[in-house]
Amino acid sequence: MEVVRVEGLGKTYPGGTKALEDVSFSIDKGEIFCLLGRNGAGKTTLLRILATQLKPTVGRASVLGHDVLAEPQAIRPHIAVVPQEARPQMLLSPYDHILYFCLIRGQSRAQARERTQKVMEDLGLWEHRDKLASDLSGGLRQRLIIAMAMVADPEVLFLDEPTIGLDPLGRRSVWSMLRALTKKGATILLTTHYLDEAEVLADHLLIVDKGRTAFLGTVDEAKGDTGVGMRVIVEPTAGDGSTAPEILEPKSAEEILAIVERGLREKRKVTFKPASLEEAFIKIVGGSIEVENT
Amino acid sequence: MYIGLFDALPLLRDPMLLVVISLFSFLPVIFIFVFADQASAVQSLIGAIVLTFSFTGLFASQSVYFNKQWFRFQDMLVASKVSPASYAVGLSLSGLVVALPGVVVALVLLLLSGGSSPAGIVLLLATSFLLWIGLVFVGFAIGATTKNARRANSIPQVLSIALGFLPPVYYPLSRLPAIAQPIAMLIPTTHAAQLAKYYFGLISIPASEVVIGWAYLLGFAALMGFIASRRAHWVDP
Repeated sequence: MEVVRVEGLGKTYPGGTKALEDVSFSIDKGEIFCLLGRNGAGKTTLLRILATQLKPTVGRASVLGHDVLAEPQAIRPHIAVVPQEARPQMLLSPYDHILYFCLIRGQSRAQARERTQKVMEDLGLWEHRDKLASDLSGGLRQRLIIAMAMVADPEVLFLDEPTIGLDPLGRRSVWSMLRALTKKGATILLTTHYLDEAEVLADHLLIVDKGRTAFLGTVDEAKGDTGVGMRVIVEPTAGDGSTAPEILEPKSAEEILAIVERGLREKRKVTFKPASLEEAFIKIVGGSIEVENT
Repeated sequence: MYIGLFDALPLLRDPMLLVVISLFSFLPVIFIFVFADQASAVQSLIGAIVLTFSFTGLFASQSVYFNKQWFRFQDMLVASKVSPASYAVGLSLSGLVVALPGVVVALVLLLLSGGSSPAGIVLLLATSFLLWIGLVFVGFAIGATTKNARRANSIPQVLSIALGFLPPVYYPLSRLPAIAQPIAMLIPTTHAAQLAKYYFGLISIPASEVVIGWAYLLGFAALMGFIASRRAHWVDP
């Protein structure tokens, strides 16, 4: 079942900046769909249009069968958003945040208390319920923001760079939470510029570059389309600096076997490096995101 | 209502801060009470009530800015069934909730000082409320267009001096030089304070000035409402 449909979408801001141009894709129910691109590529613009926060200038977009421009009220009760760099009120507790978001979304006090406990337990926040947000780690704060979005039990969840600034464990905790949500039937659209994140999470991905679609498909298709394959590094054993390392790209199992045999025979270290999305991304947009951000 | 409570909760949870904020506009009254006569103190107390409403309206700019740009709660609430009207009313009321204890204390003091009638108090609150509406719109226009936290804090503070401490709100209009009085009448807080003092029988003004005062406050609220509606957006263009 198609949950999101985008056709020829474009956005030019009032100042004249063209942020999106002719973007089309669709997302099925229960998918994690990743939007990739450099900073300023148009990821947040696209997410905000779909979350009914920003008006597109051309094209059409629908969420859960409703047009984002014509029927935003029909969409909003069924979605939730985790904005980029959202942060909690430092002088309030996680319990306050989630309880009040339940109440603001129209739940009764009894429902709100029950839902707050459920969401906090699901996201591992219950034990931190009475701490001030200022005393929480970055990972817990981000989890709190996600929990605030989750109170409505959304059918579609939009997350704008949800793991930015988190340590590796915090990122993995968010990833497993997102996977658990899709198992319950939620559909997730997230933007990221962490390629390993997209590689782990994405059922489908859209790479946006300068507002245009640079690639649309699965992670494997991205690697396949760009001809990125496994690399094998053959180098001298430690202490022997006589020969420079060789980087090989075997095309068949026989070639791999031959390289291994050679390594054993010549007593050289052989390292296998699987194809990564990062390499595919570099080929697609012509630059590494991490390098761009430094 | 819950939007306003959520916004005001950090202040409501901190009684010391609550006392400071809710009594902020009443501090000049203490000096006037000490250094002038009781009639001047009563006049300044009325001015302080008018200004409490003004400041809470003006400082809605901070709620608007921080919920939109800092916490990003506005984006989270747009993607929900919360309507823009209830969001705007909620944020506007959060300041009033915080200021309410100070207003109640001031009203009690006014009653204790004698010479105040229920009608006077109702009309004082009505003028203050009308001024508050106009300044809430100013707050929304500022908060929606401000792009950094420093400006979000400094602009309402500068305006609060221009609207509150300089014009004849705590003190009588007659204390200003004749040349400055027409300039003071361009400021909405002057009109609200003049009307409130008039309804308490502290000053006498012609009926035409009363009508002009109400018309000015209504016009100010309407104009600021128009400007705020052009500046503050629920869905970004």
